[in-house]
Amino acid sequence: MAEQSAPDELVFTRIFEAPRDLVFRCMIEPEHLTHFWGPAGVSTPLESIKVDPVPGGVFETVMVNDSDGSRYPTRAIFVEVDEPERLVWTEPDSGMTTTSTLHDLGGSRTEVRIHQTHVPDPYRSPEAQAGFATSLDRFAAYLATVS
Amino acid sequence: MAIAADRLDSTFAALADPTRRAIVARLARGDATVNELAEPFAMSLPGISKHLKVLERSGLISRTRNAQFRPCHLERMALDSAAGWIEENRRIWSERFDKLDEHLRDIRSRSDQEKGDERHG
Repeated sequence: MAEQSAPDELVFTRIFEAPRDLVFRCMIEPEHLTHFWGPAGVSTPLESIKVDPVPGGVFETVMVNDSDGSRYPTRAIFVEVDEPERLVWTEPDSGMTTTSTLHDLGGSRTEVRIHQTHVPDPYRSPEAQAGFATSLDRFAAYLATVS
Repeated sequence: MAIAADRLDSTFAALADPTRRAIVARLARGDATVNELAEPFAMSLPGISKHLKVLERSGLISRTRNAQFRPCHLERMALDSAAGWIEENRRIWSERFDKLDEHLRDIRSRSDQEKGDERHG
């Protein structure tokens, strides 16, 4: 089923062949995060990762570009930590909030759903939310068809 | 960076309204005057003008200052940067999860190997 999302919302889902407890630990333990947190061509050195998985705790990393060494520090604060089902953190600098939901599919399979939103607080009113009916992805695709 | 983020916020806010999205969709087909834009909507010219002001402030559209009918023009760069935020974050999560998948495979093959060692040792 297609999910309704706001113009600036991102929903991303992936199924992993691993038990939910392990996948959850991968998302909060530096020893795991260092292996995958940076996207392609970007490393996340173990010593740069600070994780305090309690509400109000920090989630900080430094991602390093493998080709030119440029560093991208990230700083987030945990809002909710509900092991092994749900993680919510927010980045104070951008206001972006990321919710990770882990579903146990049985047979050592886990679905991870990432919901990322950038909606600034003034637009969180019910009226503004009602307006967020069309995702910008679909909107951009539509624009491509008419132009 | 902060300026870019503010601009993105106002772009998203401008696009939160269905009338404004319809105006943007119309302008994607070419420039149009306020009268032309108002035509498909059951809305007064001042009502449409209010929406156009929001779109103009967000940088999504521009209006010619000196031409008599001041046609509205879609600024594609602003629209692309909003769509770009979603694309960029989707790419990051996709690549991150490719690596996580690989990491989980490594863990599994290591634990399989240990089990094998126990059986044979």
